[in-house]
Amino acid sequence: MTDTAAPAQPARALSLARIEGALPWIALGLVGLLLPLLDDSYIGVIAQRAYIYWILSAGLNLVVGYAGQIAIGWVSMLTLGAYTTAALTAGTATPAWHPYLALVAGGAVGALAGVIVGLPALRLRTFYFAMTTLGFATIVTQVALAWKDVTGGGVGTPGPVFPWPFDPGWGFYYFCFILAALATWMTANLASSRFGRALVAIRDSEVAAEASGVAKSRLLVAVFLFAGALGGVAGGLFASLQSYITPDAFTFEMSVLFFIAILIGGRGSILGPALGTIVLTVLPEFAAPLVQWSTFLYAAMLLAIVLLVPGGIADLLDYKNRRPLEQHREIVPRPELLGRVLGARVASSAITLENIALHFGGVRAIDGLDLEIKSGEVHGLIGPNGSGKTTTLNVISGYYRPNTGLLELDGADLPFDQPQARAGYRIARTFQTPRLVGSASVLENVKIGGTVDGEGSFTESILALPRHHRDEKQIKQAAMQALAAVGLESLANVRADRLQHSELRFVEIARALMLRPAFLLLDEPAAGLSAEEIRRLGALIVAISREGTGVLLVEHHADLIFDICDRVTVLNLGKVLAAGTPAEIRAHREVVSAYLGA
Amino acid sequence: MLESILSYGLAVGAVYALIGITYNVMFSASRVFSFTAGMLGMLGGVLGALFIAKMGMPAIVGFVLVLACGAVLGLVTEVLTVRPVLKSIEQHLYVLSTLAFALMVQQLTAVEWGTEAQPFPRLIPIGPGWLDQQFWLPMLACAVTIVGLELLYRKTLIGRAFLACAEDSYAARALGLPETQLRMASFALAGVIGTLAGFTGAEMLLAFFGNQSILNFYGFVPVALGGMGSNRGAVVGGLALGLFQQAANFLVGGIFAAVAVFVVFIIVLLLRPEGLAGASAARRV
Amino acid sequence: MPTSAPEPLLEISGLSAGYGKIGVLQGIDLRVGKGEIVALLGPNGAGKSTLLKAVSGLLPRSGSIRFAGKDMSKAGPRDAVNEGLVHVVEGHRVFTQLTVFDNLLLAGYGMPRGELTARVEEALAFFPEIAAKRADRAITLSGGQQQMLAVAQGLVRRPRLLMLDEPSAGLSPVLVDRVLAAVVQLRAAGTAVLLVEQLIEKALATSDRVYALARGSIVLEARTDEADLPSRLEHAYFGQDVSAPLSA
Repeated sequence: MTDTAAPAQPARALSLARIEGALPWIALGLVGLLLPLLDDSYIGVIAQRAYIYWILSAGLNLVVGYAGQIAIGWVSMLTLGAYTTAALTAGTATPAWHPYLALVAGGAVGALAGVIVGLPALRLRTFYFAMTTLGFATIVTQVALAWKDVTGGGVGTPGPVFPWPFDPGWGFYYFCFILAALATWMTANLASSRFGRALVAIRDSEVAAEASGVAKSRLLVAVFLFAGALGGVAGGLFASLQSYITPDAFTFEMSVLFFIAILIGGRGSILGPALGTIVLTVLPEFAAPLVQWSTFLYAAMLLAIVLLVPGGIADLLDYKNRRPLEQHREIVPRPELLGRVLGARVASSAITLENIALHFGGVRAIDGLDLEIKSGEVHGLIGPNGSGKTTTLNVISGYYRPNTGLLELDGADLPFDQPQARAGYRIARTFQTPRLVGSASVLENVKIGGTVDGEGSFTESILALPRHHRDEKQIKQAAMQALAAVGLESLANVRADRLQHSELRFVEIARALMLRPAFLLLDEPAAGLSAEEIRRLGALIVAISREGTGVLLVEHHADLIFDICDRVTVLNLGKVLAAGTPAEIRAHREVVSAYLGA
Repeated sequence: MLESILSYGLAVGAVYALIGITYNVMFSASRVFSFTAGMLGMLGGVLGALFIAKMGMPAIVGFVLVLACGAVLGLVTEVLTVRPVLKSIEQHLYVLSTLAFALMVQQLTAVEWGTEAQPFPRLIPIGPGWLDQQFWLPMLACAVTIVGLELLYRKTLIGRAFLACAEDSYAARALGLPETQLRMASFALAGVIGTLAGFTGAEMLLAFFGNQSILNFYGFVPVALGGMGSNRGAVVGGLALGLFQQAANFLVGGIFAAVAVFVVFIIVLLLRPEGLAGASAARRV
Repeated sequence: MPTSAPEPLLEISGLSAGYGKIGVLQGIDLRVGKGEIVALLGPNGAGKSTLLKAVSGLLPRSGSIRFAGKDMSKAGPRDAVNEGLVHVVEGHRVFTQLTVFDNLLLAGYGMPRGELTARVEEALAFFPEIAAKRADRAITLSGGQQQMLAVAQGLVRRPRLLMLDEPSAGLSPVLVDRVLAAVVQLRAAGTAVLLVEQLIEKALATSDRVYALARGSIVLEARTDEADLPSRLEHAYFGQDVSAPLSA
């Protein structure tokens, strides 16, 4: 509970985590490197198949496990990669290509297909999207059957043979091993970058992702492209391993297999799905008499996982998060640290609402509202239920488009219907119920607020280039500072869903602070907090505003409003009932009446 | 040729429409899209062939038994894969649990029944031609289902309870309606409709375990296009899909017909993600 | 025979409830006697709706709830309704795609048909405006009429205790008076009512007793004929002196 002890803990926990994280991979890598010593070609083939499946699954893991898209028909990437590489090497469509170039082409076709399959995800709901991926997989197989000249139709076509040093046998084995290791490294890099965290935010709390400025469309397209490329490359390798491919090698069952491997492994993990893929590749070999039943077993495993351990293997292996937490935890914010968190004081500015009106159907939610939020001020917005408080906040944060009226920042229009653009204007917000990623740690949740600050690109993150490391270092430092300012740095590595409600509130505020906001919009932050916590929250809010941030506080708690606000606006039935200082409002007869409903 | 397109098209379209209605009934009761619709259709044909052709039961007995199995499977779906995940807020779990169950059943069928498509017995010996059973049986089933559902929803209290739960499940619960029992009944009903679709369409589609994937997709297209929960939309969408598919088959050949369907499906969905007769998205903040 | 006070119809003690991790109510004690009208007042966010939902079983809760002598701590809304404890939720949530008559029939789902139609007619008799529209779909009704329909739904089972959550919301003053008059008629017929209301003066005029809820706890309990009630309520709401007191 003492702050001096707290900072030491997270550092220890982190270095332990890094070792824990590397150990299994080192073990797997050693096994892979040394396997050829057994000189057993049967085992070698199984291992190669596992590597190839993992290359595809590593990419699919980003789509399913991180981005949360139910892409069931992903086998189409394997099919396309396999046939592209095979056809180009065999010269059925064009003059024969060199196998390595054909493999690259397979990856490129996979990337393109990934984008085509992925685009509907931007507009369709979960089940619809799952269906379209299934449809796509069927189409690809049908085309493979029909385009006899190029693919050999139902009869099939020979797969590519790679020349030395990766020729069939142990040479090709090491080729698959190296590419599998590369796929692991690249996807792990991306997963632990700001893009990986943004994906998880999109998956579990899209609203939080928007508020943090995540550009969902661009990011998803990039992920689908990358994952498709991996799938295409896996397809080319697959065609070579099989040495002869036919359309019925790419079944719906196979597609589901990859998908199940990731879910059994657990979303948001790299190791889990890798283990899942290995298990699913190896299982039919050991369960030889049950080979017919292998898909049945996979499906039964999936059902068991969904019903019993939705977090998969990764959850089972997560010992860190089973250590008990201290019982009587207190949140002790340290407002003196806010200067570092919020950075340079912003020049005086204001958000202005002029004559805003918004109706839903026949209901006038907001009916001619004027409001001004100034830098350095705490502006309270109160009113009975249905008065339009939260609706107003939603208009300012870009979720609703008003029917009439102006919304301006320093005289320039703020765009409507673009909540994700607010981060760029350094306008941050919190929500009535804290919107956090439960399965991620507190620190990772706060880091999501730093997504827009990174300079490194998607590709730089995949390849762990210097700017990626600089971004990560800077975001982590800023996140720890924000957590220290709200008083929660001792819980940095704890899974967010283990925290109490009041702690989650403050975590959300820390995330909002990561934007170094010029304006902070708080939606009923006091709900569910104890009296002491409300006092500390109030002190924190005041301190934030004294650093120059303009705060809009939508609240029910009259005490908090009257204690800390510089100005108060009272809404009733969508109109401004009164506006002024807290003292003026308290004495205002009509306000009292409105609240008491007389 | 036109005659052929019409008869095959409307017949298979009726099967697709019924599968779409199966999806809708499960969705209305639980807000869950279940992967078991195609499974039910597939089993309608397989179990029908099993009971009537292999085990020699009289057609009527076999038919009733198939529908009963459908009801039981519907109940199992609700209890095993829907109820446990309804409490969770994670939408993807619904998709996965029903998918897993449907897959298990499909694989079981593949192992026990075999992976070859088997012929479905002729039940009514009216010769080939447009009066052939394989054409009018599915259409009759579709018409009976539509009329039956209308009567259920308009004339019975339980039917109106279904509509109430579909519209506002919170208000239904507060009013004291037996939510769980109604949901179970809906899934059992969906089971009956799905197996009915598969049984009546099996002469065309054959008793084949692979029908599950086919019906999952082609039965979903009418729902996607006609709007979730809209049975009228499912019927119009299903019949249109059947006709379009048959026409494309004749004009450009089987494989490109499949591509054509998929492309149209994607285009419509991208333009109107809620379908052609859908409702607007719910409030998120 | 001992002259002890009769056991209350509804007795709640130590009730705590919330939404997920957010605790809203902390240790509520409350009673409603047979044939009483009790008002539950309080500022927004105090937990009034949460309290009703906890009692009827729409929300998970801890603590003791006894209704007509029975322990209801494990009861859901359906059990509550069968015991005679009916909850009309806020926001006039009627089934817009069904007719007025069907909406009322569903309120009595499970009752024998003959008895049910009789009770539906009884409920409609309280609100002649919607009785005239019995065959129309609820979507054609105005907001106020839908609210009357929602209250009528609550009457179909002739409950022992009817809990109304802000029945006046969105209603014109005339309609509010109609609804509150119906509440008084109910008391005459033997039904107790627990009434959550924003309109303090009207609520006090209709009820026998009042509780005030603020920030998740009961801050005031009184009979409505006690002196000085309006200013005591203001204190309870704002927890401090108000410079411009509400004059009668």
